[in-house]
Amino acid sequence: MTNLNTIDLAAVADEAKIEDGDVVIAKSTIILRRFLRNKTAVAGLVIFLALTLFSFVGGFFSSWDKEAIDPFNIGMPPSAEHLLGTSQAGIDLYALTVEGTRISILIGLVVGLVSVLIAAVYGCTMAYFGGKADKVMLFILEALIMMPALLVVAVATSGGGNGLQETLPSWLLLIIVLLVFSWMGTARLIRSLSMSLMQRDFVKAAQYMGIPPRRIVWRHLVPNIGSLLVLDITRGVTGAILAEVAFSFIGIGIKVPDVSLGVLIGQATSQVATFPWMFWVPLTVMFLLTGSLAMMNDGLRDAFDPSSGSIGSAKKKKTSK
Amino acid sequence: MSSEMTASAESSTLSTAERLRVAGLHAPDDAPADAVLSIRDLNVRFNTENGVVHAVRGIDFDLRAGRTLGIVGESGSGKSVTSMAVMGLLPETAEISGSVRLNGKELLGLSDKAMCRHRGNDLAMVFQDPLSSLTPVYTVGNQIIEALTVHNPTMTKRAKEARAVELLALVGIPSPKDRFKAFPHEFSGGMRQRVMIAIAIANNPRVLIADEPTTALDVTIQAQVLEVLHTAQEETGAAVVMITHDLGVVAGMADDIMVMYAGKPVETGSVDDIYYNPRMPYTMGLLGAVPRVDIAEKTSLVPIEGIPPNLVHTPTGCSFAPRCPLASDSCLQGEPELWAVAGENLDGGMPHKAACIKTDSLGLEVDVHEIFRAPAVPVSRFDAIPREERRTVLELRDVKKHFPLLKGALLKRRIGTVKAVDGLSFDIREGECFSIVGESGCGKTTTLLEIMEFHKDQDGEVVIGGLSNKEASDARTKSAMRKELQMVFQDPTGALDPRFTVFEVLSEPLENAGMAKAQIRKRIMELMELVGLQPDHVNRFPNQFSGGQRQRIGIARALAVNPKLVVLDEPVSALDVSVQAGVINLLDKLRAELGLSYLMVAHDLSVVRHISNRVAVMYLGKIVEIGDVDAVFDNPRHPYTRALLSAIPVPDPALERTRERIILEGDLPSPLDAPAGCNFATRCPVFAALPPARQEKCLTLEPPLEPLPAPGPGGTPAPPTDQQFACFYPDGELDADALVVHETN
Repeated sequence: MTNLNTIDLAAVADEAKIEDGDVVIAKSTIILRRFLRNKTAVAGLVIFLALTLFSFVGGFFSSWDKEAIDPFNIGMPPSAEHLLGTSQAGIDLYALTVEGTRISILIGLVVGLVSVLIAAVYGCTMAYFGGKADKVMLFILEALIMMPALLVVAVATSGGGNGLQETLPSWLLLIIVLLVFSWMGTARLIRSLSMSLMQRDFVKAAQYMGIPPRRIVWRHLVPNIGSLLVLDITRGVTGAILAEVAFSFIGIGIKVPDVSLGVLIGQATSQVATFPWMFWVPLTVMFLLTGSLAMMNDGLRDAFDPSSGSIGSAKKKKTSK
Repeated sequence: MSSEMTASAESSTLSTAERLRVAGLHAPDDAPADAVLSIRDLNVRFNTENGVVHAVRGIDFDLRAGRTLGIVGESGSGKSVTSMAVMGLLPETAEISGSVRLNGKELLGLSDKAMCRHRGNDLAMVFQDPLSSLTPVYTVGNQIIEALTVHNPTMTKRAKEARAVELLALVGIPSPKDRFKAFPHEFSGGMRQRVMIAIAIANNPRVLIADEPTTALDVTIQAQVLEVLHTAQEETGAAVVMITHDLGVVAGMADDIMVMYAGKPVETGSVDDIYYNPRMPYTMGLLGAVPRVDIAEKTSLVPIEGIPPNLVHTPTGCSFAPRCPLASDSCLQGEPELWAVAGENLDGGMPHKAACIKTDSLGLEVDVHEIFRAPAVPVSRFDAIPREERRTVLELRDVKKHFPLLKGALLKRRIGTVKAVDGLSFDIREGECFSIVGESGCGKTTTLLEIMEFHKDQDGEVVIGGLSNKEASDARTKSAMRKELQMVFQDPTGALDPRFTVFEVLSEPLENAGMAKAQIRKRIMELMELVGLQPDHVNRFPNQFSGGQRQRIGIARALAVNPKLVVLDEPVSALDVSVQAGVINLLDKLRAELGLSYLMVAHDLSVVRHISNRVAVMYLGKIVEIGDVDAVFDNPRHPYTRALLSAIPVPDPALERTRERIILEGDLPSPLDAPAGCNFATRCPVFAALPPARQEKCLTLEPPLEPLPAPGPGGTPAPPTDQQFACFYPDGELDADALVVHETN
């Protein structure tokens, strides 16, 4: 084999410099550093993680569960025995809130993650093939956007979907319906982003090497819109939680005996004056949940945005000198 | 001033002279009385994720009215930051210290509002990208008037309009009265840059800063714009700071040169001193790294290995030492200052100074090729075989690409055809490099795409290594074709997926070819070595490499499947001069050692001359001249080729001053209204000089591409060449208006 090692000697020197001089910082490190520098975002992350933890292990700190009725404490305000009080049926509100939070987070995470994944693959495929495939897929997408999601949710979860309701728990049914209607906006965004990626030379290079389209989409397009995907996941999670609350509030989402934050809030609205704790506790939890996600999203956007004004931490060191 | 205070705190390591200067003790009379702009110890620091980057580290210069200072350096050397600091356009996060005096008045520390009185008035700037520096929603007239209004509130509307038209005429916009009301999108890139110059000189600035004013333009347009800049300077008597990386551009323009490296000037002097008597190894390397369009003799280029230092850390020794082949231990002891170089200063320009402790030993007799250990010129085994006997690797027969031009919202109707590529035929033999040159928009890239496309429905036949697109273009033929033909892209950063490690980048084509895992590993190690990269760097990401190394990865990827032909799309135009030389040498070497053929598209004719064996000049989708590179470049027959070649600036000031330059009128005509006869007639200097009776032939007949007609009985027998051109009057007189010769003092 040919040997061009003469060039290497000098190259070695500057390679060493790159390593020693920490010229190159991995992009993930930069993003992490920028994210951690944003105190609000870190607080959001902490709150969200704490709530998730609470929804899974919170049940162990109370002897009551969401089905046990305490006949001696019906509709009682918070007390030593029932930390957050009880409902008019005598069920411990703490246990209900833990259960409701878990269902809400579950719905949010699953819908947020899966819908973005669907959107990514769908959008990239559309952009990659273009032409006829793009037209047909765009038509399907537009048709779904036109469909009144509210009615479909109502029909699926109450009247029409009887067969489904027997086989599936209501939260799973809601997840599926939400999934069907939540990915279109993101998919369109991703389509336009990928179309601009398609113009980049590395996609052309892969095509000229004869790489099959499926692999180009999966290996070149999807990872390169990664930062957008992360942002869209947090946004999608918030959206899904809010949608669940809204649907359950108007009575077409989660059905009793399943509990969710929306169900709790919905049930309590009529008695805000008489049983205020029944209303304010789940509302606060919901606000913490969506609020923390919004705080995180803001920090993530800053961290991913290459043009953000977040300058290096060097500034502080400098002034202290 | 507080910024100077902080600077003085750090100055304990500086010399006495510098300390005095930093402490503000340098009086204005330190500068020559007639200096319009005088800069002392300019320092700029930025805060980044990596720490404080000291981008500009102490610049001093004085600029007198009517003089031109060229600032030359690689990207990242601090040239643009310097100009931005002078203009007060740096972001607030930047820390600037030192002194910038305009006519004796200190500019640093002025508020943005106070700076606005100077910017656009006595300090003006021409930016690099003419496409984005004009507002698309206002007419160009409005934008010139805006510049006038801001600084001359008392001027009447009519006076301003008259001045704007006058300025447009000055920068050579045809029919300025009508164009005054035109919007930027109605102008081509070169015209927009003229408008930018008009805006810059609107208020008769004392200092005009041109930041790479022609980098984004074609060579023929570049020649026009340089001409306009020259006129503008003569007209206003302004001092010009010309920032560029192209040593050719400044050779003809500048009086003085400052070579910057790692944020510091490393050599300053008059243009002749720098070009003919460089004393700093970096300058010598830069000059040796530029291929010359006017020299046929084949020598390797001088590669400057390595990358500029990271300015987060203050260099302890000479900043160039890690890349300098002459570096010794004493070079690492403290950074050298600019020392005066022996020799008289004839024209009263900048004194010749160089920042190298070996200045005195680097006289005229030193050979730069020896110092930088430029590799020997590689010899290919095909060079000995006559061209006709080599195998054809690519053949194009009458390839056409016409785009229909449609109009209408609902019902599209065809209003014309854009003939991007119009009947192209050529062939490439084994082991040769064939280049296509021409202005942007002439169809070079479309030609490449047509070849890469390789589809049955194409108009014309493409034969790659014996496989024709007309016969079988099923998946198997295509994948066989892909093994014959690979591509290297223009932008090395864009061509590599940022999320792939080098290993993944290189393994992709191999996996696709169905190679086994173990073999892939072996092949990748081979490839890394072949292109001169460290084999253990395969696990890095592209952003961890410098531009030149990335281009090497791109070349390695193209070579992975052992192709016969590599298509190079402007392979070095995105690279710095010093890095470019290394990549060109590598391409040359690979061609010789692996017996590759190249099809290259480039706009830099010097690079083409250096690396190619054959060349085709394209104009509006057609080849106007084709042949052996030396034959075409030394004896161009088509007037367009002659104009192209004369437009290339040469890094040789004396030659540049006396060289005859053909300035083509106007821009490439839109392919829509291509004339019936010769495409080039609208801009042709020969055509313009012809008597009307003979012009008729050019306007009605299309000149065919054919070799020189056999000489008459009395003529000397023409040497056998395969040069062909498409012109009826190759020996015609040139129009006198199109010729420009610079006689500078």
